Amino acid sequence: MAKNTKLLMTFPVTPTSHTLADYRERGGYVTLDKALREMTPQEVRAEITASGIQGRGGAAFSMGRKWGVVNLNDGQPHYLCANADEGEPGTFKDRWILEEAPHLLLESMLIASYALQVRHAFIYIRGEFDLPYRRLAGALAEAYAAGYFGEEILGTGFACDLVIYRGAGSYVCGEASALITSIEGKRGYPRNRPPRLTVRGLYQKPTVINNVETLSNIVGIIAHGAEAFKQVGTTKNPGTRLISISGHINRPGVYEIEVGYPWAKFIYEDCGGIPGGRGLKAIIPGGISTKVLTGEEVAPLNLDNQELEAAGSSLGSGGMIVIAEGTCMVRLLQVMLRFYHHESCGQCTPCREGMGWLHRIIDRIVAGEGRPEDVDRLYQVSKLNDGNTICGMGDAAGYATVGILNKFRNEFEYFIEHKRSLCDGNLECHA
Amino acid sequence: MPEIFIDGKSIQAERDQTVMQAALAHNIAIPYFCYHPSLSIAGNCRICAVQVEGRSWVEIACNMPVSEGLRVLTDSEQVRAYRKELMQLVTLNHPVDCGICDKAGECTLQDYHYQYNGSPSVSNEPKVRSTKFHPLSERIVLDNERCILCSRCVRFTKEISKSNALGITQRGDTSLVRAAEDHPLDDDPYSDNVIDICPVGALLSRPFLYKARVWYLKPTPSVCPGCARGCTIQIWHRKSEWKLNALDPRKNVSIERITPLENPAVNGPWICNKGRDLAQIFERPRAEQAMQKGKSVDLPAAIAAAGRLIGDAKRPVALVSSWGSNEELAAFKQALGGRFAAFVKEDWVPQPGERLDDDLLIRADKNPNTAAARALFPALADAAFTLDDATDLVLIWGEGFDFSRLPARARTIVLDAYAQPEHQGADVFIPVSIQTERRGHYTNFQGVVSAFEPCFPKKPTVADAETLFAAMVATGVPA
Repeated sequence: MAKNTKLLMTFPVTPTSHTLADYRERGGYVTLDKALREMTPQEVRAEITASGIQGRGGAAFSMGRKWGVVNLNDGQPHYLCANADEGEPGTFKDRWILEEAPHLLLESMLIASYALQVRHAFIYIRGEFDLPYRRLAGALAEAYAAGYFGEEILGTGFACDLVIYRGAGSYVCGEASALITSIEGKRGYPRNRPPRLTVRGLYQKPTVINNVETLSNIVGIIAHGAEAFKQVGTTKNPGTRLISISGHINRPGVYEIEVGYPWAKFIYEDCGGIPGGRGLKAIIPGGISTKVLTGEEVAPLNLDNQELEAAGSSLGSGGMIVIAEGTCMVRLLQVMLRFYHHESCGQCTPCREGMGWLHRIIDRIVAGEGRPEDVDRLYQVSKLNDGNTICGMGDAAGYATVGILNKFRNEFEYFIEHKRSLCDGNLECHA
Repeated sequence: MPEIFIDGKSIQAERDQTVMQAALAHNIAIPYFCYHPSLSIAGNCRICAVQVEGRSWVEIACNMPVSEGLRVLTDSEQVRAYRKELMQLVTLNHPVDCGICDKAGECTLQDYHYQYNGSPSVSNEPKVRSTKFHPLSERIVLDNERCILCSRCVRFTKEISKSNALGITQRGDTSLVRAAEDHPLDDDPYSDNVIDICPVGALLSRPFLYKARVWYLKPTPSVCPGCARGCTIQIWHRKSEWKLNALDPRKNVSIERITPLENPAVNGPWICNKGRDLAQIFERPRAEQAMQKGKSVDLPAAIAAAGRLIGDAKRPVALVSSWGSNEELAAFKQALGGRFAAFVKEDWVPQPGERLDDDLLIRADKNPNTAAARALFPALADAAFTLDDATDLVLIWGEGFDFSRLPARARTIVLDAYAQPEHQGADVFIPVSIQTERRGHYTNFQGVVSAFEPCFPKKPTVADAETLFAAMVATGVPA
């Protein structure tokens, strides 16, 4: 596949490209006008469902199915919330939208609010995002001034207000239910399901929470129709993905690729390959919570969720971390487990105790005090977290751990036996 | 009424129940730490995991809605294996210092360890150290190392006592239960309930700290006399077979602690802090010697003297105790009701700083049996009431009487359990037993009758009001 259609990164980034004036020049807010005047909320929803778009936040859940749970005639307020708490290590793709195309998100959220009959929408943005927050807040002020928010939007009866809520630096608050609990002003603990958030979410009302990138596709889908959207990408997973690539790569950054794009081409042509021409040891494809794939596994694959799932991993949130030959996987796992330990909210037992346990075991191994049974213990604690926690964080940490252990067990056994790293403890890779 | 199957047994569940509630309603044991029938569902301890038949994974029962034909297993091999491993996690950073823990013997974690795990820890890592003896309030000490973060106490202050006094700070395995900084836990009159609902020994009662091993204690069911609610309580005192000989023998007849006894009709599973501190009421200096005009006499002599006074009186007035049991009040009515103009006296009035009433338990009337007394006798109207000068005998039963209001020429018969200087001036003083020394019933403000049992033996020099009035009649009062 040679073509690489862009749906989001369609304009050159300039010092003013994020402003309302530039956005209007690119045809901004025309789609909102079209949706409000020519389409009913049901029609907007039907279009989104027909497009088959999957969530870009990591779980790849169908947006149409998520929206379908909300009953427009239930007499309750509904809420829409954009999840801009981009906390998954390796992932920084939403940041590009927030910084460079904030109006695209706002217009999409207005259309989504119209489709879901939402009067009050929210954007939960991670606290560490400074420029993205300022860009977004500036865009919102511009949009309010231009009459895109508030009462009687564009002269129609549609009214919508939007609040930007800044997080306080918690990874778990990127989990949908923790996010809304945080908006409610409570401690950011995830909630038990059932009930689903589309049944009882923010302030106990039906709430739709979508990733920033997912929402930002709405303008394109409504402007050009679901059929046009489905022409891009694969049949099962249409559209494009923003991939934020980092690690041992010559040109890290955010790239938009069409789903199904060849992985090797992406790494070696678009991103300039690995520094110093070193070999590819492994790739964490979609944020550290997805299972690692070795260089050999990656080589024949295309960037498509179906293919990655068949290979035992997932495209996740699009946060790709490239690991060059010569990197110590034990120390890599140590870094990851320190993160999970630090970010476990402490609500439910398996994650609260398990993350600390995993972290202490790996610390001990790296300190040269590993025991032969430690690898099995890492497996055991990971497995105990799998599916047994309130939110997905316990599972995610388990996947990450098991993923690395499965493929690089020899490095762990070497470290434990010889009290030193097989790869000299390298995490760096210089050209 | 969906029919569900737990371990193959058919159960008629209520529509809105969870599997946990349905199981508890049918006496099927599913272990739990964080679940509490009176609190919201937290689902954080994960020990209540069960397996839906046909599924390969386990799920928590406390948040699983029942549905028609649902089939769950509470004791499948997978559930057992999961619980065993989860117990390893629960105790991973728990100090397991049962030997010096007040909760030992009535600790859910201890019980579950033996029931569901039973193996030593497989961890080689040092435990996470945390705060010991953290003063959560003046009454409650917190041991953060023992805390398993079930959040029951936090939910209690949010949902039941509504003081919002507790929360969790920090995160992960360094999370800490902490009180809000402006000390609302000190002002929460229900705060000590968090000690009872703590499934481990993290929340400890300062008055009970290191006082006794619970297996040396015996709980006697009783009724709290602190207000008209009449909460059902348990009075914990030393078992007679574990009598102490070496230490202060008074320990053998003292109240070690008081806990609620769950009673849905009256107090649910809670009591207020005043109920916990009943020892401060019951263990005041007792009156144990009958007197005439301040001179010690035998109990039978005092009873006979009282009988003669009653026989001689022309305008006798009785002030009946609102702390008398139903049996005692009836005995008075039967023996002396015709002889006296009797009124119900308010023995206790609210103390300064005491919560007057609220929506949960506390009632403004600080006497346990006003309802039963008022059913028999009229109320002593208000503080402005003065006994008129024609009154020639006043029988004062119980506390709370202002002796300056006595008419000048009236003789007095005083029945009281606690020593007061005014008793010296009484024509006849007869010491009576207290609630912990006898059996009886109180009727609360809703008309619910609750029973109390004796904990300690009564001294022979002390009379029981239930038989006292008839004895007075028998010795002196003309029929």
